[in-house]
Amino acid sequence: MRAKVIDRAEVLKIVDLLRKDYEVLAPFCGRGRDTFFDIVTDENRDQIQIHVPNPYYPPKRFVLPHIERLLKIEQHDHTLRVEPTYDEEPRAIFGIRSCDVAGIYHLDRFYLGGKFRDIYYEKRRKNLFLVNMVCTDPELDIDEECFCVCADTGPAARDHFDLQLMDLGAEFMVVAGSARGEALLAHPLFKNGTAEHLEKRRRILEEARGHFKKANSWFAATIRYMTQDRILEKTWEEVGHRCLECGGCTYVCPACTCFSVTDRQVGPGEIERIRLWDSCALGGFTRMAGGFNPRRAVHDRRNRRFFRKLAHYFIQRELSMACVGCGRCVAVCHGDVGMPSVVEMIRRATAANEKHEPVTNA
Amino acid sequence: MNPSPTPNVFLPKIAILDRVDSEIDDVKTFYWHFKDPADQEAFRVFRPGQFAQVSIFGVGEFPASLPPSPTENEYFFTIRQVGSVTAALHQLKPGAVFGVRGPYGNGFPMEEYYGRNLVFVAGGIGLIPLRSCIVYALHFRKKYKKIQIFYGSRVPKDLLYLETLRKWQKTEGFECHLTVDRSTEGWNGPVGVVGSLFKKPGVSVPVENTVAFVCGPPIMFRFVIRDLKTMGFEDVNIVSTLERYMKCGVGKCGHCCIGVAYVCVDGPVFTYAQIQKLGEEI
Repeated sequence: MRAKVIDRAEVLKIVDLLRKDYEVLAPFCGRGRDTFFDIVTDENRDQIQIHVPNPYYPPKRFVLPHIERLLKIEQHDHTLRVEPTYDEEPRAIFGIRSCDVAGIYHLDRFYLGGKFRDIYYEKRRKNLFLVNMVCTDPELDIDEECFCVCADTGPAARDHFDLQLMDLGAEFMVVAGSARGEALLAHPLFKNGTAEHLEKRRRILEEARGHFKKANSWFAATIRYMTQDRILEKTWEEVGHRCLECGGCTYVCPACTCFSVTDRQVGPGEIERIRLWDSCALGGFTRMAGGFNPRRAVHDRRNRRFFRKLAHYFIQRELSMACVGCGRCVAVCHGDVGMPSVVEMIRRATAANEKHEPVTNA
Repeated sequence: MNPSPTPNVFLPKIAILDRVDSEIDDVKTFYWHFKDPADQEAFRVFRPGQFAQVSIFGVGEFPASLPPSPTENEYFFTIRQVGSVTAALHQLKPGAVFGVRGPYGNGFPMEEYYGRNLVFVAGGIGLIPLRSCIVYALHFRKKYKKIQIFYGSRVPKDLLYLETLRKWQKTEGFECHLTVDRSTEGWNGPVGVVGSLFKKPGVSVPVENTVAFVCGPPIMFRFVIRDLKTMGFEDVNIVSTLERYMKCGVGKCGHCCIGVAYVCVDGPVFTYAQIQKLGEEI
């Protein structure tokens, strides 16, 4: 890894540099708390936000769009043409947070691993350049809901980015995490750092970690209970009672992978096969043709979400649990059954239920 | 990342419908071939118990068992009309084009069962996936010991592949027992649930060195498992094939998960021992 520094006034020039080769996406402010990633243009370039509450709509959509076309189908009387359509636009995300970098890495393991590789995901992913921004501002970057420190993904990502920026005050430290990132660091915009910069980085990072006051998600205990099948049915029922089945948690989750596929008519004889995000919270998710639904109860579906994210079997397969600690599900859930709440409900109920026999000499 | 080009697993190959046979109410068999001879040849690698994704363009896609055995020369699906895509398939006339991709899933490890007794227990349209194994086993008859087929349906007119069943009943070298839950006029065979056939006079089901294939509706499955366990079958020697809502068939869409398993890639074939360890009720 190579580290350099760039003057504060120059930092958006990285965006200008990237725009030569990429469509660049960066965070902007909407109204109130609302923030979003948008395509950088000459007009909006100066409104790019460096420190900003992480947008609820996760940047996952730049590798796995909310709705995407898989096939273009033309069907007329005697002809049928089926053609895959790919999106190979080179894109760069400027200011992606460490939790979302971990989310994309998790998706890499899932979509590019296993028995089959997903070519649509692969084509987007290999053309994607990630500029990670370390969350250091306690007012803007670090929300009350954030718990990346519990999920071991932040506030500073350790890898899987191309470039990482961290605010040191008058300057930003820039770290390359890939060959593409290193190539960019050769530009004269970037100057060599000193030992003092490194010391400052260490201090700021340590301070930033201290700002995650409410982050106390005891994953270790819950993963153990989940894996050993020790969670009480009544805990799931309680979680189920509080779930409003809106699917919000899955739609904002940077590590959720499920999708549905459907055909839609777009013109005479013209059909698109599209895939779109789907949610295990929704009742129809497992319902088969004919009506049989193996996961009819709400709490069975909630069980599914947390089992898929935390069971050891999947952690082993994807090398990370399917939660990156971004806190979005906490923010959107009306029933307060986002990840940290459920982790705590499970830990408390399961621990309370288990008898701890004293060790005796008998 | 992987240097060799990634194939598009979501791209169906074009298939042409040759003919349609009515089987029972709402169930038809669709004989078809791939338009491209190379696809036709490549598909031949399928194993009994695998499945394919069938596309009716503009309507959607669904997973379908492969009832033919790889030892046969024709491809076909036997499909019950239950939802919108199967309904659209049922409307197709010979010559129509549709899409097929696959084969997917693990299939039954038929080679591992060489030298063992095979017991097939099917209920209703549960015979569709087992047909492949039965035809395969009969093709390699000498590789297996005793072969028994137990098949039941609600009423005689719901017996699937009736012509084939009649043929099997007359063939020497293996047993084929049929039953119905309710008799109707013209039926002179046994009446009762499929499990009652195990106790029929003259029937002897070996337990030692035997694999039992079970496929049918959930209630039948539960009772047959109970019967087999009472007879002394071990969980590892009972195999079944599960069905779930699926969108991709390749382990990505997440719809077919049961506990730790993605049915489409880790299954659809599981032993009863595996089914109990999935971490979720089936």
